[in-house]
Amino acid sequence: MSWRPTTLALAFVTVIGWALFLGVLTGRVELVIAAAPPAVALLAALRRGAAPALEIEHAPSADRLLEDEEVTVSVTLRAAQAAALVEVLEPLPARVRVGRGSNHAFFTLRAGEEIRWELVLRCTGRQRLRLGGPFVRLWGPLGVTAAEARSPAARRVAVYPRVTPLRYPPRPVTTQTFVGNHVSPAQGEGIEPGDIRPFAPGDQVRHVNWRATLRLGTLHVTQHHRERNAEVVLILDTLSEVGPPGRTVVDVAARAAGALAAAYLARKDRVGLIEYGGQLRWVRPGSGRAQLQRLLDTLVDASVVFTYVQRDVDLIPPRILPPQALVLALSPLLDARFVRAASDLAARGFDLVVIAVSPVGPARAAMGRSGVGDLAARLWALERRAQLAELRRRGLTVVDWDGVAPLDAALAPLRRPRLRRVLA
Amino acid sequence: MTLRLAGLLLVAVLALVPVTVLPTPPVTWLAGLALVIGGVGALTLTTPLVTTGASLAVIGYAIALALDRPAVDPVVAVAFGATLVLVLPLVHFAERARGAMVPPSVVAAQIRGWLALALLGAGIAAALTAGAGLLTPVLASARLPVVIALAGLGASLAVGALVRALLER
Repeated sequence: MSWRPTTLALAFVTVIGWALFLGVLTGRVELVIAAAPPAVALLAALRRGAAPALEIEHAPSADRLLEDEEVTVSVTLRAAQAAALVEVLEPLPARVRVGRGSNHAFFTLRAGEEIRWELVLRCTGRQRLRLGGPFVRLWGPLGVTAAEARSPAARRVAVYPRVTPLRYPPRPVTTQTFVGNHVSPAQGEGIEPGDIRPFAPGDQVRHVNWRATLRLGTLHVTQHHRERNAEVVLILDTLSEVGPPGRTVVDVAARAAGALAAAYLARKDRVGLIEYGGQLRWVRPGSGRAQLQRLLDTLVDASVVFTYVQRDVDLIPPRILPPQALVLALSPLLDARFVRAASDLAARGFDLVVIAVSPVGPARAAMGRSGVGDLAARLWALERRAQLAELRRRGLTVVDWDGVAPLDAALAPLRRPRLRRVLA
Repeated sequence: MTLRLAGLLLVAVLALVPVTVLPTPPVTWLAGLALVIGGVGALTLTTPLVTTGASLAVIGYAIALALDRPAVDPVVAVAFGATLVLVLPLVHFAERARGAMVPPSVVAAQIRGWLALALLGAGIAAALTAGAGLLTPVLASARLPVVIALAGLGASLAVGALVRALLER
């Protein structure tokens, strides 16, 4: 860190130059005398060589956050020598604003003094936040010289989408072999009562249905449905997005995907994720808390990467997209490539539910209020309704969600058990 | 806001000095222009505008002195120079600190530092003025070749210092 002249030094030189030049030109000594105080002050304030060393510590209070949560960033400054004026600036990444305090501060440090400065940042959108450390500028006397440095320690803070609890996620048509919370059509050990049949050797006495036995005159037992888990694959459409930063349709869909993943994983299901966009990325279906973390990490990085390439669902390996899985596609249905991919999946017999995140609201939020804008939004909403009706007519299960109402309410029509549809 | 008003006040002092020397239309117009440009710079915290305003005040002061040819008044000149020392760092600091967290102790320390440097500059200017008064009879009676030789020595020293500074870069 070394001293460098600032623009103020140039301002001083300009004024001194004018005074001396005009003094010589007019032959008036007053102008030379007037030039003397700024010249002396400039010479006295100029600093050369190395600036005093400054120790900077920079630490965020957390490395994982949810959207709209606050993180406290502590900056500790320690000076071996006195520093007359220290300017500290914590640059704010996109979609981060100052919650409390200021990201720009000035201090005076005595020799050996330590100053701790805290500011609270509020993260308004999912992202992998990079806090590169504050810029520090030491000002010399008068501000005609300055020395700049930046704290080299870069910290990363993951801002995960806010996960809202879901009570009734869509039920899968088929279940898997492992124990879970979904009532399977198959008979076996379980809690949910199924059919009644005559007693057979080997049946347990506790399964005897005494009411049926008395009515029919012979021993009958109650059969139970097995409770099994399911495989769920979430497909997130990142081909296009609209809306203001932090509130785009992809952000809304990522929040919904996080909520669905958490709900299914809590029910012992195996959940996978496919990011269907310019980059085709996926997370293999799995279960447990580690899988939720994996999914949320992928959702944090989900973003639109522009491409003309049509990604076929054939590219996705069967272990990522198992044939018996419940596929939940979250999309604003803005890109025809995704609509084709969803239709293709449904035609292949996948148990597909399309959660159509409405882009009209985010687009209106990004635009200013105007009569023409309102009219365009209404026409767009009508067009979208027709598009969804067309998809339903083709046999796809489509849920319309505006992104504002609770997802549970939007998914309410899917609470009834669904049957596998065979598309022509 | 206090720093803005203080900057405006100092710009007004700079603009007023030429008018007090010679209150004629060209000087008044130039001083008015210096006040407007410097005042806008002080209120909007723009250092280049304040520099322009200060330069215009210097030009106005020079015109007033050249037209009026008054007796030398070193006190006004030193005060003018000291005001220049105060106004530029004040506006520059206020510009840098706009929207930032600045404890009052930091502002107080800065003002103390500026005042100290302005007083130092004013003191040295006063001392040089007094010293020049003593040297005047000596230089007045000096022969022209001696004056030219001294001027040449000063010029060669300045050029040497400039070359060294450039080489050090």
